[in-house]
Amino acid sequence: MSSSSILELRGISKTFASTTALSPLDLDIERGSFVSIVGPSGCGKSTLFNILSGLIQPDNGSISLEDQNVIGATGHVGYMLQKDLLVPWRTVLGNITLGARLKGKVGPEDKEQAMGFAQKYGLGEFLHHYPSALSGGMRQRVALMRTLATNHQLLLLDEPFGALDAQTRFEMQQWLLQVWRDTQRTVLFITHDVDEAVFLSDRVLVMSPRPGRVVDDLRVDLPRPRTLDTLVSPAFTDLKSRVLHQLHRERGA
Amino acid sequence: MKRNFLSISVAGAVMALSSITVLSASTLASASTLTAVKFVYDFPGPDMEIIPVVVAEKEGFFKANGLNVSVEFPPSTSTTTQLLTTGSGDIGFITTSDMAVAVEAKAPVISVANYSMTNNWGLFAKPGSTLTLAGLKGKKIFSWGDTWTNAMIPFVLKKAHLKASDITIVTGSNDTPLLMKGTIDFTTSTTNYAIPGITEATKSAPVGIVGAAAGVPNVPVWVYAVTHNYANQHGKNVRGFLKAIKAATIWASQHKAKAVADFMAAYPKSGYSKFYSTKGWALTVPLLTNAAGKYFVQTNKQWTTLATALKSVNLIKSVPAPSTYYTNKFLP
Amino acid sequence: MTKKKLLLNIFGPILSVVVLLGLWQAIVVWGNVAPYIAPKPWDAIRAVTSNWSTLAPLTWWTIKETIYGYLVGAFLGAFLGVVLNKIPLMQRVLYPLLILTQAIPIIALAPPLVMILGFGVMPKVVIVAWIVFFPVTVSVLDGLNHVDKDLMTLAKVFGANSMRRFLVLEMPAAITQLFSGLKIGATYAVTGAIIGELAASSGSSLALYQRSASGSLDAAGVYGTTLLMTAIGIIWFLLVVGAEYLATPWQRRSTARQWRRGAKPVLTNN
Repeated sequence: MSSSSILELRGISKTFASTTALSPLDLDIERGSFVSIVGPSGCGKSTLFNILSGLIQPDNGSISLEDQNVIGATGHVGYMLQKDLLVPWRTVLGNITLGARLKGKVGPEDKEQAMGFAQKYGLGEFLHHYPSALSGGMRQRVALMRTLATNHQLLLLDEPFGALDAQTRFEMQQWLLQVWRDTQRTVLFITHDVDEAVFLSDRVLVMSPRPGRVVDDLRVDLPRPRTLDTLVSPAFTDLKSRVLHQLHRERGA
Repeated sequence: MKRNFLSISVAGAVMALSSITVLSASTLASASTLTAVKFVYDFPGPDMEIIPVVVAEKEGFFKANGLNVSVEFPPSTSTTTQLLTTGSGDIGFITTSDMAVAVEAKAPVISVANYSMTNNWGLFAKPGSTLTLAGLKGKKIFSWGDTWTNAMIPFVLKKAHLKASDITIVTGSNDTPLLMKGTIDFTTSTTNYAIPGITEATKSAPVGIVGAAAGVPNVPVWVYAVTHNYANQHGKNVRGFLKAIKAATIWASQHKAKAVADFMAAYPKSGYSKFYSTKGWALTVPLLTNAAGKYFVQTNKQWTTLATALKSVNLIKSVPAPSTYYTNKFLP
Repeated sequence: MTKKKLLLNIFGPILSVVVLLGLWQAIVVWGNVAPYIAPKPWDAIRAVTSNWSTLAPLTWWTIKETIYGYLVGAFLGAFLGVVLNKIPLMQRVLYPLLILTQAIPIIALAPPLVMILGFGVMPKVVIVAWIVFFPVTVSVLDGLNHVDKDLMTLAKVFGANSMRRFLVLEMPAAITQLFSGLKIGATYAVTGAIIGELAASSGSSLALYQRSASGSLDAAGVYGTTLLMTAIGIIWFLLVVGAEYLATPWQRRSTARQWRRGAKPVLTNN
């Protein structure tokens, strides 16, 4: 493994019945990078996440995550969905420490870490609140903190802001970038929103179905920190245009 | 006394329905000539003590007295009085203890005739067992949960010099299987039920302590009763009823086998065998007449004895004049 | 809960009971109902209080039968609910049998049970458990069948094995449903105890006391013991509701109570 790659996929493929969900895929993900994946349904992005998280096994290929073969093994990545999936009977503190609870006991270090996250990211007052008392944006924040609390380097985020309104989504995107900066994790981010993909990432992978494969791989060299100005800059628009054209070309084909 | 009340209550309900239907059918034929009377038994199902009523119907004695009598069975023990007071029954068959508590509760019922004349109630055990009053201590005794049994047990305890806590009273719906199994040591019943029942199960007569030997007052066990209202408004029916019953009882005493056959034909699913009903009826017949050979006649003495005795064990609070309990004016 | 709502929740039922008692009194007095048919409400209550020394131990027995039977039925029901959820084959085979057990009228069930189990506490406990277990099984099964599938997937990704997933996620998720079943069982439990007592009693029992009162045309005693039995049922139901309140704070509160929060770890500066 090259010194900067945290994740190496070689020849990963998966077929369901007669559909090739993923044709053989090679991929290297740099440690600490923010990589977005865009593509229509059936392009293989969900299958890719399921394989990476160990939920399903690929038909062929190898995966090396931090020098470990994690094929078919769960418990090596952080995972977050559009549904916050907060457990209603546990408080914010209880939810953030859920990972520890599911693996065994919640120790004082787990609690400390959870309290640290909550304090740092504006939810310190809500530690002992139940999820029903929180707004949608707050709940997604708790969900992300829960994902961080599992202390995995690689985080898989599957359209985490899809259910939020535009205003809240922008705030959450800014917040996510701050958290990513603070914790220096590696993020794989699935989204339908091209703006979001380009805005957040160092790199955008465009995928296409039948068979599922990567058809474009763009470097996003926009300066950080990314701001509202970034969104309207010509460089941004160029990148966005390229991605959109890729998506439409594939749709037409 | 009688057995199997839970299952018999179901059988009894079915029979009550069928007997009502059968009798209504015959009513349709001769409705205009006969007066309808509802007779309510004391137990949820029929047994050989109802033979006078069955015979009166089957052999035409009711019809001869202008009556069309339908037989009904109460849903459980000690509810017949309620059926009378709520108008669901006209003439009822109850125990004298039921009568006493009814008067105490100021229910407007009155006894119009004795059924039996003496107290043949007592404790019974399997043949070959030892049954003494002293030996009751620590034993399990069966009760049917009815007023009569509740009334008699304190007398037994008194005679045996025992407290209620010295024995265990097991209340259920069927005594013979429990007696056979040994779950209970003694059962409580009257001779005309206990002897056929236990003889049938063991092929031998049971041992028993009965009547005065058991410490219970010598009073009749069962009577026919009506409400004051019914007595005042339909005295004619009461008179006719008793006349028919007397004739039927005499007939049934002289033709015992035919009487039992009539009973079994009227109630084929009663749960009682021919052996039981035959033996039971044979034991019942001598109970129905007093020393002078008369049916039905009630005395002041019997009611005063009963009331005084019940007061002495705190089952009733006061002893009223015996005339509050009975009248002989409808006797044939 | 606001003060107004709290007052309504407590005084509402009390008011309805008072109105009912008033109606009862009115019917008896104006309808000239004979005392051996129906008593005035106060006489019924007095029949209980003036005979309390006799009724107290009988009531205590009925309560014990109810509670023991209820607990057996609740645990059995919950256990069956889990088994049926975890083993689909069992669900196919057992579920129809369980429904069959409820189709049998309890009153018909009592005599055979008495023949097998005798005249003591056991047949009553079995009857109560029989009545209670089924709604608990159905509700637990329902609760477990409807746990969020995505949440379970997430738990797998977190690396939790099936036992952990069950204990940490599935069981708590089913608690709300569990209490639905427990509440239904609570309302019927006393009935089972009384049916058992009627079928067979060793010594005296509340049901027999009532039967005696009925035979003695003691209407005040009959109605009074009915009120007593009803009170046992109501109190038990309220206790179960109280347990539900304690077990499911997140349904009513926005924050956890102090005593739930656990030991506070010392926060080091970051």
